[in-house]
Amino acid sequence: MSSLDWWILGGTIALLVLYGLYKSRGKQSFDDYTLAGQSLPWYHVGMSVMATQASAITFLSAPGQGFSDGMRFVQFYFGLPLAMVVLSITFVPIFHRLRVYTAYEFLENRFDGRVRSLTAGLFLLQRALSTGVSIYAPSIILSTILGWNIYWTNLIMGGIVLFYSVSGGTKAISYTHLTQMLIVTVAMFIAGFLTVHKLPTDMGFTDALRVAGKAGRLNLIDTTFDVKSRYNLWSGLIGGFFLQLSYFGTDQSQVGRYLTGETIKQSRIGLLMNGLLKVPMQFLILLVGVLVFVFYQFHESPVFFNKQEVERLNAGPLAGEFQVLNRQHQGLSAQRRAAVLNLQRATAQNNDAAAAAAGDQLDKADEALAKTHAAVSDLVKRNNPAADKNDVNYVFLRFILDYLPHGLIGLLIAMIFISSMGSIAAAYSSLASTTVVDIYRRVWPGSTHNEVVVSRWSTIGWGIFCVVVAQFTNRIGSSLIETVNILGSLFYGVILGIFCVAFYVRSIGGRATFWAAVVAEAVVFVCYYFDLMAFLWFNVVGCLLVVALAWLFTTLQLNLRPVRVADE
Amino acid sequence: MPMHSPTDTPLFGSWPRAYAVVLGALLLEIAFFYGLMHWFA
Repeated sequence: MSSLDWWILGGTIALLVLYGLYKSRGKQSFDDYTLAGQSLPWYHVGMSVMATQASAITFLSAPGQGFSDGMRFVQFYFGLPLAMVVLSITFVPIFHRLRVYTAYEFLENRFDGRVRSLTAGLFLLQRALSTGVSIYAPSIILSTILGWNIYWTNLIMGGIVLFYSVSGGTKAISYTHLTQMLIVTVAMFIAGFLTVHKLPTDMGFTDALRVAGKAGRLNLIDTTFDVKSRYNLWSGLIGGFFLQLSYFGTDQSQVGRYLTGETIKQSRIGLLMNGLLKVPMQFLILLVGVLVFVFYQFHESPVFFNKQEVERLNAGPLAGEFQVLNRQHQGLSAQRRAAVLNLQRATAQNNDAAAAAAGDQLDKADEALAKTHAAVSDLVKRNNPAADKNDVNYVFLRFILDYLPHGLIGLLIAMIFISSMGSIAAAYSSLASTTVVDIYRRVWPGSTHNEVVVSRWSTIGWGIFCVVVAQFTNRIGSSLIETVNILGSLFYGVILGIFCVAFYVRSIGGRATFWAAVVAEAVVFVCYYFDLMAFLWFNVVGCLLVVALAWLFTTLQLNLRPVRVADE
Repeated sequence: MPMHSPTDTPLFGSWPRAYAVVLGALLLEIAFFYGLMHWFA
């Protein structure tokens, strides 16, 4: 990084933090602090919803996923537009009409305090764990660029966001989200354009896609139905629908965003805008990763994208073994480059047989490179047991630093930081509002303390907890974006099931729902522990189990009839 | 059916039409991705 990059990075972060503080200036009521006084228009709602979901993980992990695994991850988002429609029809009008601060308030109205507490507790647990991972993601950048210890980096990153979140309310968060999304979109377009520009002069965009296609990276749609396969059309449409419905309908970090809408219409249009833009946006981010993959067909790719670990290997006792694998990697890279050039020539001459042969040659080289990469990953782990053996999160970052022009490097890294700060701030805000509204108010109903002050202290408490979680995240060793989604899927299905019973099965009461949720959550954990299915299906299983068990308990009359149903 | 506020005028003439636009866009995207994958395979 040059001094220009550092100035742009520091300046952008400082400006947006100051902008947030400026927008949150003045005395705020609890209503202003939590829901921005329900005053925002649809484009604020839409951008805020998108910015909350798209954190640094999206911009770091997703291109890496496109690079290493292809574009099949896009199917994960197919359930999102469906979920936006269902939310617009059902959840939005109910939440608006009841004028709730959190989604869980509605549950006490419908069932009883116990169901509300259980659901709020499940949310707090999963959101705090996911936020820990979200803090870790941008910390990778600092540790890689500056060579800092990752534990200190987590602490500093979490601390900056904590300072910003405690000072700024929901209005400030929404204003910064709007700016972030606009700048991030522009920055990603420039990054994609420059990646294509850096390909050999005789290679156009469609040639790049052809190479990506032959190398299996354009695996956009998989129609086979397999519950063990992580991403296919059906897991995306069905599992993804349940996950997104639960995420947007019952996760306070999202509910808190669209409850800021001035009217039902503003909230609805914001969500529908998200439904229209999310899939194309994710497609483009993955495409950038695929273009980076094509770029590395013509340039020497690092044998392992985490530079820090490679330097450790080179300086350690396994340096000899590493050098052998590195030479093997260079030889195979040359073979792959030759295969790509053959493919390009054959395609230009419309020679299908030669193109197929070159495609096979490319496949074989790619397979051999993957084996070498796996051997290097094992070596990294042997050399440093605390290291992350998966380098997918480092691919895009390494590319930015090695090949993009100065100035843009600073801007892109600043944007990764800013988007991360926005989503972490939204998470802190939702953790605090749920703690105050669903826990504090119930435990100390007659408290005379200022609730904004209590919210700020609650934010500090959760901020410390999330940083502690972040300290353990580098032991996970998989794609961060997958880790966050797996964590969510463990809880979201059950939470959604509780809301489905609340909305659609009015004859079932609180006790049956409570015990159904407890049993369903245990079953989901068993499915995860024994690896019985791909994680997206946890959402379906959790939700359907809650509904079925609650109905069964009520039908069998296991002394689980409602204690009271307030709205009947 | 949920109550609508007086300012809650629908998008695209009616809300069902707005929902159809969102779902139709998803179908088109899936078809486009499928075509792209096969075209460059």
